[in-house]
Order: sequence, then structure tokens, then C-alpha cells
Amino acid sequence: MFVLKSAAPGVRVISVPTDKFKTNIIEVSVAVPLDENAAANALLASLLTRTCKAYPDFSKLNAKLDELYGASLGSYVGKTGDAQVISFYVTCLDDRFSLDGESITKECLKLLAGMIFEPNIKNNSFGKEALATEKRLLVNSIKAELDDKQTYALKKCTELMCANEPYGRPETGTVEEVESVKMSEVYAAWKNLLKIGRFHIVAVGNFDVDEITGLFAGKFEKINREPCTIDTIFFKKGLHFKRGVEQFQMKQGKLVFGFRTGMENSNDNYYAEKVMVDIFGGGTYSKLFANVREKMSLAYYCSAKLIDSKGIVFVQSGIDTDKEKAVSTAIINQLDDMRTGKFDDETVAASKRALRERLTLSTPGSICSWYKSFILEDEIRTPEEIADGYDKVTKEEICEAAMKLSVDKIYMLEAVESEVESVED
Amino acid sequence: MKIKEYRDEKLGESIFCAKHPSGLEIRVAPKLEYDSSYALFAVRFGSVDDYIGKEDGTYEKIPEGTAHFLEHKLFESEELDAFELFAKTGAQANAFTSFDYTAYLFKGSENIETSLGYLLDFVQSPYFTAETVQKEQGIIGQEIRMYQDLPDWEILFNLLKCLYKDNPVSIDIAGTQESIAKIDDKLLYSIYDTYYNPSNMILSIAGNVDPDAIFSQVSKAIKRKKKDVPERRFSPGSPKAVSGYIEEKLPVGKKMFMLGFKEDLKNPEVSLQEELASNVMLEALFGKSTPFFKKMLDDGLIEMDFGASLFNGYGYSVAIINGSADDPEKVVSLVKAEIKNAQKNGLDKAAVERAIKKMYGMSIRGFDSVGATANLQVNLYFSGYKPYAELEAIRKLNYKAVSERLSKLTEEGCALSVIIPG
Repeated sequence: MFVLKSAAPGVRVISVPTDKFKTNIIEVSVAVPLDENAAANALLASLLTRTCKAYPDFSKLNAKLDELYGASLGSYVGKTGDAQVISFYVTCLDDRFSLDGESITKECLKLLAGMIFEPNIKNNSFGKEALATEKRLLVNSIKAELDDKQTYALKKCTELMCANEPYGRPETGTVEEVESVKMSEVYAAWKNLLKIGRFHIVAVGNFDVDEITGLFAGKFEKINREPCTIDTIFFKKGLHFKRGVEQFQMKQGKLVFGFRTGMENSNDNYYAEKVMVDIFGGGTYSKLFANVREKMSLAYYCSAKLIDSKGIVFVQSGIDTDKEKAVSTAIINQLDDMRTGKFDDETVAASKRALRERLTLSTPGSICSWYKSFILEDEIRTPEEIADGYDKVTKEEICEAAMKLSVDKIYMLEAVESEVESVED
Repeated sequence: MKIKEYRDEKLGESIFCAKHPSGLEIRVAPKLEYDSSYALFAVRFGSVDDYIGKEDGTYEKIPEGTAHFLEHKLFESEELDAFELFAKTGAQANAFTSFDYTAYLFKGSENIETSLGYLLDFVQSPYFTAETVQKEQGIIGQEIRMYQDLPDWEILFNLLKCLYKDNPVSIDIAGTQESIAKIDDKLLYSIYDTYYNPSNMILSIAGNVDPDAIFSQVSKAIKRKKKDVPERRFSPGSPKAVSGYIEEKLPVGKKMFMLGFKEDLKNPEVSLQEELASNVMLEALFGKSTPFFKKMLDDGLIEMDFGASLFNGYGYSVAIINGSADDPEKVVSLVKAEIKNAQKNGLDKAAVERAIKKMYGMSIRGFDSVGATANLQVNLYFSGYKPYAELEAIRKLNYKAVSERLSKLTEEGCALSVIIPG
């Protein structure tokens, strides 16, 4: 169960009080429209966590965290629907386990709030060198996205598919955007975030919800809040089919199918979509696993996932490049079976059981992520409520959801064999 | 069967252990406030086991990737395969092969008894045919290629090849396309009969379970085997690296480096105390709170992914320092200078204390997860340790024990592996 409070306009606090865990976690997420400010926001997120007013020195801040039994404090940037979501978190050992009776959690909470509201700035500047370092680190981490080809292919498919929607933007901005951010823009981004961002604070563990709410209410008191609204575009159908392709010297090709579900918002037909996608390419009982992998031995992985915040489904597989046609045909054939009801009741039951099972959240991190995922939603639901919804889905509804799936884009990373270039001394 | 309770007062938890007459170790960590449970049935046979011990005491080489191949095939049976069985309970079943062992597992919240029954049953019921073995070669072939495209994986195996000669740790766990082509059903049966023996296995479960019920269920389901399991092979090898440097071109965004110092092992494994001390030593030298990290970051030499830890198991132990960098050689020379300085002038005492405190906190927090709790028991058991040995060892760590590990970072046992964008 959770407790919901409001700390200020557009600032929700969701607390899941429990002493079951040894870890306490609190995550402050803030949503803003994903637009040309993405790079400045991403740089800001890093700058705010690298140092703060109370600990202007990076080493001393990290020494403090080590002394707090290895507490971790940080930020990351992602997207939910057409929103950029910046999250600041702290996870720490519960006070019960400290060796000298130190208070760990209170200290961590203070650090987290300080990070967001009392940054290490002088004359509206985070420091020229600090910004240069963060630009270098962010640019390099964007470049490193290439290292994991599976994730890279998915990203490229998203960009191709949503080229005219905010969701098609990289959540950290592009390399060029990051490099051109000015100091004044980072400072403005901070002010803007505090003013218009939709804040969603999730705390799991041994916390006093009133204390957290009071703490943030105090911090927002002097800020003239004007929370933004975020509208996500949902396309009913993929209208302009296209296949994007890139070649790399690697061993395995990566294929991504991007589908539109026809959902009109993140709750539209939610349960049927979830069950349909799970039977199509979720667990080991799914059509794609059972056929593309087990029966046809074409792939080690071939799976589907639903992005409900955007009404999109992706199918991903690692394959031999010359088998693209065979795999694509197999994927479409399996989808046809979904549409015509060629799957048995046992599979439907297995999928519902597995979906329910995946909602048995048993770590503080997974509980925190669950509640965080409602950042753009008015109504927050427990895993139990969602699990009950799956049970009502009928076979007809599953077929109907599959009927509405339409291919929008395909992205293929073709593997080109190279001569082995290895140097040893 | 004698059941023994181990309790850690500070943690507020107990683990119950018993040795089944067949030799199977059973460890149960009840966490009654949880909804789910996580069970592993594991065998001390992994990718470092590249020989099969014969009854006459001799050893015969087996193809690389055999342990992993066997893991895949054990899921199949004459009737319903294991995945189909677990679909009935909703539990999520899986398996993995590491360097040192192979584990079959499930996580679930309902019908735990049924799921546990499935687990015990399928791992004890091998079914291999020429046909099913051949089918798997396509799937595993794709798995091997998937890993070969991961630079983090390639850089590690390249480093291990520089450090070790004739040591199976330097071979990809899944083997190669060529090696797995040599695997047939007969080989899988003989490996299974030789090593999948309860006396070489552990059943570890954590979560919402009653220890007595688990002991009784497991006890009834275990099939005893008469034969003894052959000793694991260990040859100390040379303290010297085979080669000091290796690089490979891969389509990556930035240069990556991995520097390794192998330890000259007299015994097959470093002790738990030594492993933890090494990790504290590396954290005290290169962790985020060190002046070294800050200076390197400010000078534009490293990224936030810079880090160090011990990579160890049966027959191998390597202190690894890695990250991405424009100029790996420069980073490496500064890392080595930092090590030399510590070897001469000693480690920073405050940094060591902080690192121990951090390790203690992280270790306690590991018990939040039913999966981590059950997995830790498998690791501990296969290295010969009791349930809370890790926490106890961390509490005993001190400056002297940590400092002693510095001497294991030697120039002769050192190699650098680099991935270059291309």
C-alpha cells in the first residue's frame, strides 16, 4: 500500500512505508516536455549530483557517501511518453544496521534535497570547468550507446519511427545539442525545472511521509509554481512504412520491428494490449520464443515489448544478417496467428499467471520503479489492482488488440564480417 | 538429516542448513515477510571444467562450452519441457552457466512446492537425443555471436588470454561455433552422470518458505548416486603474463581499456578474506572518494565508468582496473604509479576504513533480495563457506589484511587489453 500526499502544486509524494527491507530509497522525478531543452536538462542533472553547496568538493561528497555505509546518490534521465523525466535518487542502509547507531537515512534525505535545491553555484554559474567536464562525460556516454548494439538498434528504430514526435528525440539531447549548451541555459534549466516541472517523489522504506512532504513543501514554498501539462501524441496506425539500415563489422545482425498499437492514451485497452504482447513475445510460452527460437532455431532472443506511455510495440531479435527475410516472415506469421486466434487457452492462462507474477515486487528498487512509472498519470495504482485487471481479458480482446497492431518501421543493423584485426605484442 | 540454524543477530535473519545422505547441501533462508521465493539447484561444474574425469583416474579433454550446452539441454524432456511445466505455476524459470558452476532456478510467489518439485525433477531427468542436440547448436551459435558483439565481454576475454596460458577461464563460457559442433548426446550423458551428483550440488532457497517443509520435500526427491565425483583439476601455471598487451578493433563509441594483475595462485582459490581485502584495497586506491579519481576526471583522462575490482574463482584471480579513455596508456601509467606509491608508502588509512564501511553496507543490503540471498549461498558453499561467512569476514577486515593484498599487484603478472573504435 502507498500513501499519497501533495507537497506543492504539481508535487506529489508517494510513500510506501515498510521496515521489511534493509535499504531505504527515495527518488525525486520531474517530468517536462521533451524538447530542445533536453540537453541542458541532462547536463543540469549531472551537475546537481556531482557536487552541492554543502559538499562543493566531489571527493568529499563521495567520502561522505562511503561513510554513510555506501549510500548512493545520483541522477539519470529517461523518457515517458513525450516527456523527458529527470530522476534524482538516494539509496541507503536503514539506520537499524549502522554499527555505531548513526542516523543514515536523515542525512541522506538532507543530501538529496540539498542536491536539488541548494546547488554549488556562484553568480548564477555552476563553474566553467565543471560544465566542460559534464559536457565531455555526457558526449562520451552518448557515443558509448553504440557499444550495445541491441539498445542502439532500438534507439535508432525509435528515432526513425517518431521523427516527427517529441518521443523521437534522444532523452539527453544529441551530441551537437550538448556541445552547444551555454552556462546561462543550464542555470535557466534549473530555475525552469523547479518552476514548471511535474514532480513525483517516491519513497520506499523506513520514512515518515509527513516529514518528507514537509521537507519538500518547505523547499518549494518560495517558488512560484506553474506546473506544465504534457500531452503525448498517439498515432493510430503506422502510415509510412520504411526500413532503416546500417552496417557494422560485427558478428550478429540486430533486427527491430516498430509497431503502432492504435492505443489513444496510455490506459486505452491497457490490459488486453499487455496480455496480447506477452503472448506474442513475452515469456518462454510466447509465440516468438516457441517458434522463432525453439522451433526454427533462428535466434537466441526474439521478444516483444509494449511501451504503454506511447502506444508502441517493439520486437527485437539478434539474427544472421542473411536470415532477415526468414525471421521477418516468421514474426509476421506469428502475428497473424495472434490475429486469428491460433493460440490455446493454456497459453493465455500461462501469460496471465506470469504477468501477475512479475507484479510481485520484492525489492525496494522495483517497488520504487513501479510507482515512478505513474509520473504522467492522474491515478496511481497498486500492482495488485493491475494484476486483477489481466484476469478479465478475453481471447477475443487479445485478437482484436493484435488486429490493431500495424508495422510502422523496421530497423536493421547488418553484420558485415571483417578480417580479424588483433594485435598482440 | 541434521538441521543446523545459523543466525546473524545484527541482520536479524537465519539460514538453515542440512546435508542430505546423498551429499546434497540444502540451505534455506526464510523471509516470511516476503511474497516471493527464489530457488537454485546448482552443480559445481562450469566452463573452467574443460576435462572429464574418468573412472581410472585419468582426464579427457571435452569441447569448450560443454557445461553451458548441457545447461540448455537439461530443460528438455521426453514429454513437457521445463519451461512448459513452470508456465503452469507462473514461476519464472531460468538457468545460467558461470566459470565455476551451473545453476537452474525459479522465482515465484504461488505454488512454491509445485515449482520446487519441477526444479528438482527436471534437473534430475536428463533427456538428450542427436536431434535435439543439433537443434540447439543454432540457438547457442546465435548466443555466442551476441556475446562476441559486446565489447565488455570481448575486452575481458582478450585480457584473460594475455594473462593465462592453457587456463579454461580465458575461453568464452558458451564455447565457439566450432567447439559446440563437436558436442553430441553421448558426451552430455557422460558429463551428466559424472558431475550431476548430489554430493557435487546444492539446493538453495530464500523467501516465503518453511524450512522443515523444504527439507522434507527435497529429501524425498533426491536420487542418490553411488559413484564419487572426480577431483577438479588445478595446475598453478606461471606467475608471468603470456603477453603484456592486446588490442582489438570493434565498432564502439570510444576507446576502452582493461588492466589486469593476475595473482600467482598456490591454491586453486583465494580465500574469502583475501577476496574482500583485495576489493577494499582497490576501492581505497581508485574509488570515487579518492583524490586520484578526482584528478583523473578533472584532467579529462577517465570517465565515470572508471573502476576496479577483483575477478576471481577456481584457478584464477585477477585485480582488474577498467574504464573508457582517449589515452589508455597514459591512464595505465598513472594507475601503476599510484599502485607503486601505495606499495612504498602504504594505503590511506581513512580510505581503507571508508571502503570497509561501504562494503559492509552493501553486503547487508544484498539480503534485501531473495535472489541475491539464495545466489550468495551457492557461491559460499562451492568455495567451502558457511552461510554468513561473508559478513563475518567483512567485520574482521582491517588495515593490515587489506595492505597485504597490495603485494599481489605485480608487473610480471600484468597485461592491458584495449578496444579501439573501428
